[in-house]
Amino acid sequence: MLTGVSEAVYYILAAIIIGSGVMVVSMKNIFHSALFLVLCFFGVAGIYILLSAEFIAAVQVLIYVGAITILMIFAIMLTARLYSAQIKQSNEQVVPGLIIVSALLVITIFALSKTTWKLSSQAPETQTVAEIGKLLMTTYVLPFEIVSVVLLSALIGAIVIARRD
Amino acid sequence: MDWIIPAVNLKLILPEIVVCLFAILILVTDPFLSKERKIWSAHLSWIAVVIAFIANIRLWNLQEATFTNMFLVDNYATFFKFIFLAGSFLIILISMSYLKREEILHGEYFSLILFSTLGMMLLASGFDLVVIFLGLEIMSVSLYVLAGFKRSDLASNEASLKYFLMGAFATGFLLYGIVMIYGSVGSTNLGQIINHITSNDAGSNLLIWAGAGLLLVGFGFKIASVPFHMWVPDVYQGAPTPITAFISAGPKAAGFAALLRVFLFSFTTIKMDWTMIVWIMAALTMSVGNIVALAQSDIKRMLAYSSIAHAGYVLVALVAGGETGVSSALFYLLAYTFMNIGAFTVVIALGRKGQDNTKLEDYSGLGSRSPILAILMTIFLFSLAGFPPTAGFMAKFYVFGSAVKSGFTGLVIIGVLNSLISVYYYLRIVVLMFMQAPVTRTDNERIKVAFCAILVLIISTWAVLQMGIFPQSLLSLAQASVSSIF
Amino acid sequence: MIGLNHFLTLSTILFCIGIFGVLTRRNAIGILMSIELMFNAVNINFVAFSRFVTPTALVGQIFAIFIITIAAAEATVGLAIVLLIYRNFKGINVDNINIMKW
Repeated sequence: MLTGVSEAVYYILAAIIIGSGVMVVSMKNIFHSALFLVLCFFGVAGIYILLSAEFIAAVQVLIYVGAITILMIFAIMLTARLYSAQIKQSNEQVVPGLIIVSALLVITIFALSKTTWKLSSQAPETQTVAEIGKLLMTTYVLPFEIVSVVLLSALIGAIVIARRD
Repeated sequence: MDWIIPAVNLKLILPEIVVCLFAILILVTDPFLSKERKIWSAHLSWIAVVIAFIANIRLWNLQEATFTNMFLVDNYATFFKFIFLAGSFLIILISMSYLKREEILHGEYFSLILFSTLGMMLLASGFDLVVIFLGLEIMSVSLYVLAGFKRSDLASNEASLKYFLMGAFATGFLLYGIVMIYGSVGSTNLGQIINHITSNDAGSNLLIWAGAGLLLVGFGFKIASVPFHMWVPDVYQGAPTPITAFISAGPKAAGFAALLRVFLFSFTTIKMDWTMIVWIMAALTMSVGNIVALAQSDIKRMLAYSSIAHAGYVLVALVAGGETGVSSALFYLLAYTFMNIGAFTVVIALGRKGQDNTKLEDYSGLGSRSPILAILMTIFLFSLAGFPPTAGFMAKFYVFGSAVKSGFTGLVIIGVLNSLISVYYYLRIVVLMFMQAPVTRTDNERIKVAFCAILVLIISTWAVLQMGIFPQSLLSLAQASVSSIF
Repeated sequence: MIGLNHFLTLSTILFCIGIFGVLTRRNAIGILMSIELMFNAVNINFVAFSRFVTPTALVGQIFAIFIITIAAAEATVGLAIVLLIYRNFKGINVDNINIMKW
């Protein structure tokens, strides 16, 4: 990819992510927040492609956009009365929150700029899907199995909590 | 493409497999049980814990990693698994009569307890941050649900939501810490992190430091230390009482298992950098916990703040570090599990259906209504306050002793002062029980205690006195569990 | 040239937006969304480190997959709790849920 193109793509994606991220936390209407969340997740998927992690990008779109936000939109609809714009959606902590967060931001970015990374100049893996599949079945087989248990317990838990007697 | 299937030693992970399989077995069999036989799920779950305990005994004195160095069995992990399994066993026993009384006896409750126990065991054995993170998640996800298990009870719902939101928020920080460490080391395996830190790559130390700080925030939530304790009182008060006892025993110990593993074993060479922060955290945790506990009028809330304070005492052991520090922390967590579950068992025994009787005035005159319960409660409260000859005294003695030995006398003075403060609110209940007449009430009938609860009371009393009078055997066990590491 | 620091800065900003959302939102679903933003920030970091620090090992990408899975599991449980609360309280603004004093 040409250097100039990837730069342009990065800045466009970054603008989308940050812009929609701000909208997610500041919109009065929670339903609109959810829609901006979808946009933000798409932007992040674009960033993954830029980082040559195509598989993660696909997973991001499928799970975050396809499952999690849809789930949230369902939850918003089911708890319907609250997505009318009349109800105040943020509390009184806006100003202290802004101060804390901007302090954190400045400190972290300062620390990042001072850090030297052990960068590697090797070319990134191109066959990511095959390689990830292989790793999940060999080196990462234990976490892979544990994740299945997490999903099972979350499934059971959600049913236990949400079912009607 | 070459496929190298890593060598896997399933014997090492046998306790986890047993717990997991039984949890699934309960889910499968429970729908086929009639309403009167639902209790069989409970029996299956304690059988699972006992089998896992036996399997775990066979792993004692083994030091071996498997699953490409992600899962490590050493005496440290094995000792912690004994604590978790003992805690879960007692909790399952006290849950049976409680769930029957509240008419919420469902098999899923017990499989969620087992899943949660599985998560704790993975936290103790995880030698890769992936496994530690996932273990933490199994544990937490099950606990969020268990906290809300009394679904018609508003307080329980609120506890569940608060626990969930706070827990997920903390997970965000934990993950950010992990990614910082991964970025500077290039791996999430604790072994490689240790190598990296000891080889002392000065350039990226700032980042490891930031990562360690964020991990401390993440674990700080789980162990309920100040300033990450906001969720504790509401969750402890709102959750069903056996779950409150469970959260204060197992998951807290599991949080410490991972915290000690990461900080004392991996971040050893940068110990001076974080000791000061943990010092302040320990002092704050002890003081806030004990001082706010003075003002509580609900026993579950009071025990919640006392649980915060006890996390502070264990943090003192973390500050002390070294072999004596860690072994005293292990001993403390073991003692705390028994005395705390014992106290909560008495709290459960006093409740009625839909009426928990957790106000402090409900305890007045207990000495005349049920002398045995009152005496047992006194033993547990004395142990929590740290009087001899109970486990609490010996545990505090070892923790403070190790801190003095490492030269943190100032912190020990704060700790001892805090213990003195705590005597007031523990003794207040004892005074209420023995020196006040019962509040006139309609339900003055005899307090019936279920057989299983009696069993739990016997076991915890025995453990509290055993560790208080003859601490040597268990202490040497705790010492043996850390000697392989230092 | 877009380097590692670009991605890390983006991730830091997103993480801070998430924290801000958690601190200021009153609605439980809003808080959950903000937490998801934080998880995404972490994932950007993981993938970026994976690309620039260990380009051939893919450790970071695997970790990112696990985080996405966990985020889905947490969202499921979280939304189930929200629905339960809604049924009992008829409202899911966190400030309203306060039958216990702090």
